[in-house]
Amino acid sequence: MKFMQLRRTTTTLLIVLLVVMTWLGLKTALASQTVDVKVLMPAPFADATKPLVDQFNQEHHGHIRLSVVKGPLETEAISDLAISSLLLGNPPFDALLMDVTWVPKYAKAGWLQPLDQWFEKAEFEQLAKGVQPGNEFEGQIVRWPFVASMGLLYWRTDLMDSPPRTPDELVNISKQLQADQKVPWGYVWQGRQYEGLSCVYLEMIHGFGGIWYDPSTGTIGLDQKPGLAAANWLTNLIKDGISPQAVANFAEAESLQSFKMGESAFMRNWPYAWAELQKEDSSVKGKVAVTTMVATSEENSAATLGSWGLSILNGTKHADETATAIRFLTSQSAQRTLAMSHGYTPTSTELFNDPELLTINPILPELSIALNHAIARPETPLYAQISDALQRNLNSSLTGESPSNQSMQETEISTEYIIKSAGGRR
Amino acid sequence: MIYLLLPAFILLLLVYGAPMLHYLWMSFHANSVLTGLMPEFNGGANWVRIVSDGRFWQDAIQTGRFAVVSVGVEFILAVAIAILLDQRWRGRGTVRAVTLIPWALPTTVMALGWRWIFNSPYGPLNQLTDLVGIETLNILSNPSISWIATVIGDVWKTTPFMALILLAGLQSIPKDLYEAFKLEGGGNWLCLRDVTLPLLQPYIAIALIFRLAQAFGVFDLIQVMTGGGPASSTESLSLYAYLNAMRFLDFGYSATLVVASFVLLTLVCATVWIIAGQWQQINQKFGRS
Repeated sequence: MKFMQLRRTTTTLLIVLLVVMTWLGLKTALASQTVDVKVLMPAPFADATKPLVDQFNQEHHGHIRLSVVKGPLETEAISDLAISSLLLGNPPFDALLMDVTWVPKYAKAGWLQPLDQWFEKAEFEQLAKGVQPGNEFEGQIVRWPFVASMGLLYWRTDLMDSPPRTPDELVNISKQLQADQKVPWGYVWQGRQYEGLSCVYLEMIHGFGGIWYDPSTGTIGLDQKPGLAAANWLTNLIKDGISPQAVANFAEAESLQSFKMGESAFMRNWPYAWAELQKEDSSVKGKVAVTTMVATSEENSAATLGSWGLSILNGTKHADETATAIRFLTSQSAQRTLAMSHGYTPTSTELFNDPELLTINPILPELSIALNHAIARPETPLYAQISDALQRNLNSSLTGESPSNQSMQETEISTEYIIKSAGGRR
Repeated sequence: MIYLLLPAFILLLLVYGAPMLHYLWMSFHANSVLTGLMPEFNGGANWVRIVSDGRFWQDAIQTGRFAVVSVGVEFILAVAIAILLDQRWRGRGTVRAVTLIPWALPTTVMALGWRWIFNSPYGPLNQLTDLVGIETLNILSNPSISWIATVIGDVWKTTPFMALILLAGLQSIPKDLYEAFKLEGGGNWLCLRDVTLPLLQPYIAIALIFRLAQAFGVFDLIQVMTGGGPASSTESLSLYAYLNAMRFLDFGYSATLVVASFVLLTLVCATVWIIAGQWQQINQKFGRS
């Protein structure tokens, strides 16, 4: 009897154990079907996308777990971090939020997975014209645009009726306003030796009818008439007192600060500045409008294209799931969410006419126009070097250390050396 | 017995010689993102470029200035500290230990600390100048003075190391030499000039060469404190080489920079060695040592 009871207890225990183990096993098996997708983004983007990521994880519960790795704040620090792991072979991220200027370098190094499998070129048609360049490499899509951005000319509506359209007009209006003591300075922009200066220069060289560098033909336009004119114009802005001497050390934040305090009639900046200028502590709230950069009367104005986009890194084991995540993060609804919550400029043409967005961001029509004037920086894997050479020489011209013509000649020579020693054409 | 040196020699060859030769070889090749990160012979294009590369020469001058000034200041401080720590006084052991703390701290940590100290407008230095009522220095954003901030960081960090070497040297000087000198009527300054420094000479040479070589290759301190800025005014040669490799993905030119700075450093160290040797000879001629 006792023996029977023991046997029954044992059997019961065994059955319970079996059920528990099966359940645990099933659970693990199910859980292992959940794929982890990691995206590396600069800190501000990681914070902004948090609600979207939560939404995605709810929708794909049990299949994909998306997590955004919060990288450093600075753009270059993110790239350094990504490159260090990519050079070692196996990156711990599946996707990377990329600045437009990195694309050729990363693609040429073979670190980006073509996206043609998941995205079609025809889909570019739904996006604003200005965000279409800078996403392809050797005929394949390697990046999908996430946020649009372009250079803009901010002007004061309380000081003039309409903005200047040519470099001369900008100078003349500034001089007049300064003479009438309406503003201490005419125009603030980014003159520090960093990437922002290259963006300013790109807009001006196109505004004077030239090009910086065309990788497909190998043409360098720095030591030519428009190239010299652009450098000369910028240098003279400081020399003639239209821009403060300190502009030679201004980045976006400093220009914004100066313009926000009402110290200047014009400012060159990106779309993000708009929201800052509408805050309560801004002296120019409600007195600001945006337009495209000035250009000589024969030329079209140019807006430097500065967009962010998502790429799949080679070496990922979950390319399909990563593509799903990219599809979601760049979808029209995600763009809308980000435009509502953080004022991000959308990429989809349709959203520029969205009534609700227009109430939050009334400059959307101007942004849309500027996007049609967007010019990409030279699309070459050597971009970082040649931009560095430009910043260095142009800044020394702005600070008065060398004449602007000479600094452009030196930039052209450096650029040639860089291309040659890196094994490029010429 | 020379063959007993063989293992050490082979080790040195493997650890220093092989990479150096590899870099020399790389410096004659294009090895960049354009070549698919594979080496391609490009004649002397890298060397032609380095000669006309204003940034290389500016960085070389900056690195030299940083190394000479910081090692110079460290040397003067280190001699003073070493002499102080060599005297007998209460609490000397504790002070000796405390002096070493800056040297024991990881460079990254202490560089972050200095960056915070020099931060404008939130750093303590700025609060101090506000308190005294002088204008904000903005030291880390002013290209003409920011290198001084990096020198201060380096001096603070590495003076203990030099003091330690010099202290060891001081302790090897027999005390009766001082007594004899004093008996003959020599004062403290003469004693320092005619006894201490000449006898310390080999230690000084070692300390200077160690530190010069280190300061010449400075990377972490600059990278953390200023990132080479503002306007690349604090950029060192090793930082430039790093940028070329890691940011520009141009390994050929990066290797050229490494070889060029190696040559420059060798020249500097050889000069110091020769000067130190001359000094010893002069001292011997005047019968000072």
